[in-house]
Amino acid sequence: MNIIIVGATSAVAQAAIRIWAAAQHSLVLYGRNASELKKIAADARVRGAVEVTVHAGDIASTSYAQAAVAALGSANIALIAHGSLTKSDRADTDPVYLADEINVNFTSAAIWAQLLCNYMAASGGGSVAVISSVAGDRGRYSNHAYGAAKAGLSAYCSGLRARMSHLGVNVLTVKPGFIDTPMMSHVAKKGALWATPEQIAQGIVNGIERKRNVVYLPKFWWLILLAVKHVPETLFKRLKF
Amino acid sequence: MNPLSLDQPWGRGFQAVHRHAFADDHTLPDGLWLPRGLGRSYGDVCVNDGGLLLHTFRRDRLIAFDATSGVIECEAGASLADIAEVALRQGWFLPVTPGTRFVTLGGAIANDVHGKNHLSAGTFGRFVLSMTLRRGDGALQLKPGDTLFAATIGGLGLTGLIERARIQLLRVAGNGITQQTRLFGRGDPSASVDEFIALESASNDWPYTVGWIDTMHHRLRGVFFRGKHTVGEAPWSQPVAAKVSLPVDMPSSLLRPWSARAFNGAYYRSQSMKTASETTLPLWQFFYPLDAVGAWNRGYGKRGFVQYQFVVPRVDAADTVAQILTHLRTSNVASYLAVIKTFGERRSPGLLSFPMPGVTVALDIPAPGERELRALDRADAMVADAGGRVYPAKDSRMSNAMFKRFFPQWQSLEALRDPNVSSSFWRRVAKGNDE
Repeated sequence: MNIIIVGATSAVAQAAIRIWAAAQHSLVLYGRNASELKKIAADARVRGAVEVTVHAGDIASTSYAQAAVAALGSANIALIAHGSLTKSDRADTDPVYLADEINVNFTSAAIWAQLLCNYMAASGGGSVAVISSVAGDRGRYSNHAYGAAKAGLSAYCSGLRARMSHLGVNVLTVKPGFIDTPMMSHVAKKGALWATPEQIAQGIVNGIERKRNVVYLPKFWWLILLAVKHVPETLFKRLKF
Repeated sequence: MNPLSLDQPWGRGFQAVHRHAFADDHTLPDGLWLPRGLGRSYGDVCVNDGGLLLHTFRRDRLIAFDATSGVIECEAGASLADIAEVALRQGWFLPVTPGTRFVTLGGAIANDVHGKNHLSAGTFGRFVLSMTLRRGDGALQLKPGDTLFAATIGGLGLTGLIERARIQLLRVAGNGITQQTRLFGRGDPSASVDEFIALESASNDWPYTVGWIDTMHHRLRGVFFRGKHTVGEAPWSQPVAAKVSLPVDMPSSLLRPWSARAFNGAYYRSQSMKTASETTLPLWQFFYPLDAVGAWNRGYGKRGFVQYQFVVPRVDAADTVAQILTHLRTSNVASYLAVIKTFGERRSPGLLSFPMPGVTVALDIPAPGERELRALDRADAMVADAGGRVYPAKDSRMSNAMFKRFFPQWQSLEALRDPNVSSSFWRRVAKGNDE
């Protein structure tokens, strides 16, 4: 199969790439960092991927996404994995930064999802997995900007899933909790709530195979978010988490 | 793949305080740092108490693999499990493998690990074709023959950060192993060791040989294993992850000489009741029986265990080994798992490599107290008097005076050490005043 990965240098994407490489699929990788992409591609080839092509560019720009999808040879599965952990305090005071972050986390991801869905609908179907976040389930004190962009992305995917359901394209919304990635400044920060990129990636691969609609990764986040969503707003606004 | 604990070695027993950082391509940390892979070393060679651990386990990319020549190039954080998986699909395997596949390539080089095929193959370091080493003064390309290459093989991570390496893999028939077993040990301990050595030397067509020994038994009885690669059955791919994991620590009160005797006796009887002396089994099972149990180190309780592995030269080896093991048994030192093996003549390029031609024995001893530690100190002296040495990669207790007797060349490594790199082990054995 031919698998498209947008944001291929993210830790979760890299872990998913390894799983798909070992299963001997072909991969098309998009990201910003050309030298990292090259290394990821070499690793995937050694691990068994049949064919790996890389494209480095500004994946957050609309014209780049349009040109990339227009040039696709074939696509059975896509994973949209790029994102940026927005700094809430900076978003408070820097509207240009806020707009950029929302563009990366919401607008550009939604555009890739839409374009890839259109492409697959026209070419016999497929699966598009989009990495959103548990943060999108409710805006919180500590990540209002990031959470809002992910909320938008989750909502977009939910509607897109309905629009695609009769066209043979499955849309999977992935909602990971805390991921222990190199982005996290401190290695030893480990607790029951933290999952590795490998665990999240395996959950995504399984979710695509089983044609799931929404997956919380790990599963227990579903329960946590159920509770979070039901805290009354009068109380919730006093919580600084 | 992530290490289980960042602040303990595999043998547990103590908790260190570290700062942590991930290795990258560009910078090295300030202050005293130590490269660390998956933390499977039993003792404090992978601990840097009060300093920084520079983690390499996420720098685990495979760079290039030539399935014709069997040469693979990887980042040093790549695990032997990943390398073996990729290699085996194309008819290759690790040239030398330790008893766990959950170690990094860098760790295998830094400890110059050995395996069941030491007689014919020597150590892991012999198969390193080249490597990149990052030191405070820049990145260096090293090849066999270079001074720093020799110091880095078995150099316990002290010469700098191994970033990547090229190794020569071994062509194999398939993913199975034909295994034969035989009981030995009908005379006294010295005769048992002789019997084992004879069994090994009569196994020319069998690259892998090892003996399990019951060190709690007065005759030093044991089971001899030998194996060779064979065509396996198709679905024998690598087990995904450990099926069972030890969920809790074993209560230390159960880890006594009586339970060690019972455990070893039961194992010996189970082996002696097997009717078939030849079986074919998946390679994973032959090389990595303990990898099937996640966190098996918890079986030794919170206080952990020490591994004691020594080697003595071939001359009078049977007598020396028998004396040391009898000394440990009569001192009531409990050991659950002990293995014996002959090291061959193939020289490692490593400066501080552990193996030497002779006989080696490894024992694990749960939560040693004062009495056990004194008995081990005495054993150290017996090893040193025989001209042998104790394995740093597994050690957490040898004295600095003994270390310097075992490895008189230690000063050459000290001279080539990156001044910003250090480990708890090195501070313990290379410094100090009781010389």
